[in-house]
Amino acid sequence: MSLITLIPLFPLLGFLINGIGFRKVPNSLVGIIGSAAALASFACALSLFLNFSGTPQLVHVFDWITVGKLNIAMSFQIDQLSLLMLLIITGVGSLIHIYSIGYMHHDEGFGKFFAFLNLFLFFMLLLVMGSNYVVMFIGWEGVGLCSYLLIGFWNKNVNYGAAARKAFIMNRIGDLGFLLGIFLIIAHFGSVEYADVFGKVAEGGYLSGDKTLVAITLLLFVGAMGKSAQIPLYTWLPDAMAGPTPVSALIHAATMVTAGIYMIIRSNIMYSLAPETLEVVAWVGLATAVFAASIGLFQNDIKKVLAYSTVSQLGYMFMGLGVMAYSSSFFHVMTHAFFKALLFLGAGSVIHAMSDEQDIRSMGGLRKKLPITFITFLIATIAISGIPPFAGFFSKDEILAHVYEHNKLMWAFGLLGSIMTSFYMFRLLFLTFFGEFRGTKEQEHHLHESPLTMTAPLMVLAVLSAIAGFFNLPHIFGGHAGLAEFMAPLFAHSHVETAEVSESTEIMLMVISVVAALASAIVAYVIYVSKKAVPAADGAESGLQKVIYNKYYIDELYDAVFVKPISALSTFFHDVIDFLGIDLIVESIGKLVKTLSAEARLLQNGTTGFYLFAMVLSIVALLAWGLQGFFF
Amino acid sequence: MNAIIALSLSGIASLFLGFSTNRKNLLITTLLFVLVALGLNLADWNHEYFWFNNMLKTDNLSINFSSVILLSTALVVAISRSFGDDEEHTHPAEYYAIMLFAAAGALMMVTYENMIMLFVGLEILSVSMYILTGSDKRNLRSNEAALKYFLMGAFATGILLFGVALVYGATGSFNIHGIGEVVSRTKKGMELFEGGVILYAGIILIFIGLLFKVSAAPFHFWTPDVYEGAPTIFTTFMSTVVKTAGVAAMYRLLSISFPAVYGLWGNPLVWITCLTLIVGNITAVYQQSFKRMLAYSSISHAGYLLITILAKTPNTNGSILFYSLAYSIATISAFAVLMIVSENKPKDGKPDESFEALNGLSVNNPFLAFVLTVSMLSLAGIPLTAGFFGKFFIFTDAFSNVSPLFKNILVVAILMSAVGVYYYFKPIIAVYMKKGEIAEIQLPLIYKITLIITTALTIILGIAPDLVKNMF
Repeated sequence: MSLITLIPLFPLLGFLINGIGFRKVPNSLVGIIGSAAALASFACALSLFLNFSGTPQLVHVFDWITVGKLNIAMSFQIDQLSLLMLLIITGVGSLIHIYSIGYMHHDEGFGKFFAFLNLFLFFMLLLVMGSNYVVMFIGWEGVGLCSYLLIGFWNKNVNYGAAARKAFIMNRIGDLGFLLGIFLIIAHFGSVEYADVFGKVAEGGYLSGDKTLVAITLLLFVGAMGKSAQIPLYTWLPDAMAGPTPVSALIHAATMVTAGIYMIIRSNIMYSLAPETLEVVAWVGLATAVFAASIGLFQNDIKKVLAYSTVSQLGYMFMGLGVMAYSSSFFHVMTHAFFKALLFLGAGSVIHAMSDEQDIRSMGGLRKKLPITFITFLIATIAISGIPPFAGFFSKDEILAHVYEHNKLMWAFGLLGSIMTSFYMFRLLFLTFFGEFRGTKEQEHHLHESPLTMTAPLMVLAVLSAIAGFFNLPHIFGGHAGLAEFMAPLFAHSHVETAEVSESTEIMLMVISVVAALASAIVAYVIYVSKKAVPAADGAESGLQKVIYNKYYIDELYDAVFVKPISALSTFFHDVIDFLGIDLIVESIGKLVKTLSAEARLLQNGTTGFYLFAMVLSIVALLAWGLQGFFF
Repeated sequence: MNAIIALSLSGIASLFLGFSTNRKNLLITTLLFVLVALGLNLADWNHEYFWFNNMLKTDNLSINFSSVILLSTALVVAISRSFGDDEEHTHPAEYYAIMLFAAAGALMMVTYENMIMLFVGLEILSVSMYILTGSDKRNLRSNEAALKYFLMGAFATGILLFGVALVYGATGSFNIHGIGEVVSRTKKGMELFEGGVILYAGIILIFIGLLFKVSAAPFHFWTPDVYEGAPTIFTTFMSTVVKTAGVAAMYRLLSISFPAVYGLWGNPLVWITCLTLIVGNITAVYQQSFKRMLAYSSISHAGYLLITILAKTPNTNGSILFYSLAYSIATISAFAVLMIVSENKPKDGKPDESFEALNGLSVNNPFLAFVLTVSMLSLAGIPLTAGFFGKFFIFTDAFSNVSPLFKNILVVAILMSAVGVYYYFKPIIAVYMKKGEIAEIQLPLIYKITLIITTALTIILGIAPDLVKNMF
């Protein structure tokens, strides 16, 4: 069996062992099995990466569906894109598995948790390794399922269950778009294999703006909007924070939510021929980036802030995709995976220390009690705010530079978003780690640094957040743009306009954004450290702040516009159409059959003489019917 | 045709084993005999032989049918539990011997080349079944059933024999291939040859004899009474082995001897098929007894099998075999559960075979409940069970036939399988949703294994039907 098929197999095995053996496998072993499965996959992925020759490798596992001329195979494709995704997923995934050993060890569903986490890895790996859209879709649905299971992991809390359901339903809306996109691909190209479809696009002489391609790419983007939480389908992600924190780190920050970006980069050849779609992608991304960042400004739940930050950062990635800066967007996927996972895990460490308190108004001054968490959190905050030389600076500025070339107005909004990012992140940092402790005495008594299983992943991720920018160091700093070069073959056929930004402009843009980020960090410092301001208690906000704190009432809006009318419609169907219409018809048919049956039953009267008489009559009838043709 | 010889000899051997006092060994020995016969039967695979002066002919189709019959026999033997401990009133050695003889008769019915052998096989099978039906000597219902079965069966056999004589008169041959040649030659020569009347009457009368055996309407009246009166284990045998043999015999005759005069027998058979489907399914709805419901169910399945005989597409072989197999294993599961549950809770000293007897079975016997559910789903034709693909293949056959008549049959068949869902779900509802008290029932090991085999096979065939379909 080749190394490639082993990669998804390890987590599947881990899932089977921990899942079937739930409550039977001892807890000490559960964590080891789960983490070992992730690490083994990481080792395989790493060895593949190191031995990668530059040409895509296809592994055919088995033919899955063959209908007419359409053949859908379960097969894997290993190329630059899937390799990088593999490394991120299994690498960050392994760290989070290890972290979970410490974070979840008090939980009674420990085995179940690791089983789900492994299952998630399995599906995520299918998603990025599949060599066709259907395998990607299987992974896509699978990660959705695991996301649902893990958000509602503490299923005794009704609200958590509702959050899980919300995530699932929102994603279904997106999935429908994705599915329609796949159908359109099948109808148009007669295949779902990437190689076939992209080959046909490359050689088909499609003009830019071809209607079919625009339709396909738009539908696929609807799928991406659901999974990657873009406007208008983003409201599930903040609610998804109901899940355990490692889940938020792995699924709702580092991996699953970037699936939409993966899908678009994978299909870049089609997107590049559909400029209308790209424009939509860019503006949706920008709107999401700014909108979510503004909501993040006044949130008081440590995980909610990070959740809106994730939505906002995903918006940046889509904005990059929209201006065809595919490799820059992917670069941001990678750095974001590191620093956002780190932020979530750090938040987890804080929550762990604070005895499950998530409100930053009750925190403060934690830097002395949780030094490792503080330092790593600080690194991540600097990284996400775009301050050099940490990772976020390079990736975000690359995107912004491309956006500047494309549309100045867009760039200005993007900059505004990044100023807000810097503000809410430093606000979070200062409120949590600086000043005086504001929690209860009991909480203060329990404050402690987390165990090594939790801090070790933090440190590894901190290093990565600090240096990941150098993987793709731009030319102006004497780098080689190594990542972009590595990924270049992926975009060979997609006519990417390489509008080179002049060096002076690039430097100017960088300076502007760094100054802006630093300035807003300082503002945050003044407000929350020097002036020791603490956000108002719930209900005491006023004006715009209140609107923002309540997330612009988007949930309420959706409730009024979609949920309530649909509920009303469904009640109508239930009461009128179902009860008065369908039930009546169905039940009367049933009654008719029963009546007939009651009559027919009487024929069976138990008298042999009657039975024989009936037989003789039938024989006579059959003979008479057949023989009339001979005589008349 | 070593299987027939082996079965006959081992039947006699079984009788002698009756002198031994240990009843338990009989079951294992008989099972072994059946499996040996199955092995001998499969050994002829891919060889076409004539036996006993062209009286029998084995080919792959007959071997497949024989295998289904022998497999069903083996499963029925496996759930017989040595016929209990009542040493005074039950005689397991005789019962096993008669079952082996009956199986030998059934094999003759699927391998005959000469009409005489069809008649002999049918009679061996029927006479054995008359005896087994009445084997519960102290039970009046059993006696009544045996007598009824015998009277009506004798009547039907007489008609069959009359039909054979008329066909001989029209064609001058007992050999089915010989008959086929004469029929197709004369058909080409003239529109209505002089023996036409006699031939038609002969075909119809042979038919009626066989339709009686597979309990097609309007020759089905014996079925509910006999099925209900006979001891459940022999009802199982009747509804699987006898039905498969009857259908196979009819298919053999129609596809070899009379395809040329399809016009003569096709139309009457269409009406009989529809009538069978309607009578079987509709009447089953009202039944309160599970056993009687299964009797009507067996009538309705005869109807489905007749569809594909009529459709005679290239796939018919596989469809009939698959359906027979799916139907047989599901029926055996159902009867096995019925048997053990009904005996657990006697009512007036007799097994309680109503639906109420199943109430609350799932509480203490989840395994039996599951087995019953799978078998009911399969009989109803719900996907992921063998029964679904059985129906699917048959409906596909009917659909691929160009004659518009088949579209009509198909409509009837699909409507009736919807009706079927209603009564097949009755036991499932009783088992899972009704309240009742049934203590945990201890199953003998071999009983349990048999149920696992039938249930697993039902599910496997429902997921990967090609595993078996391609063999046929």
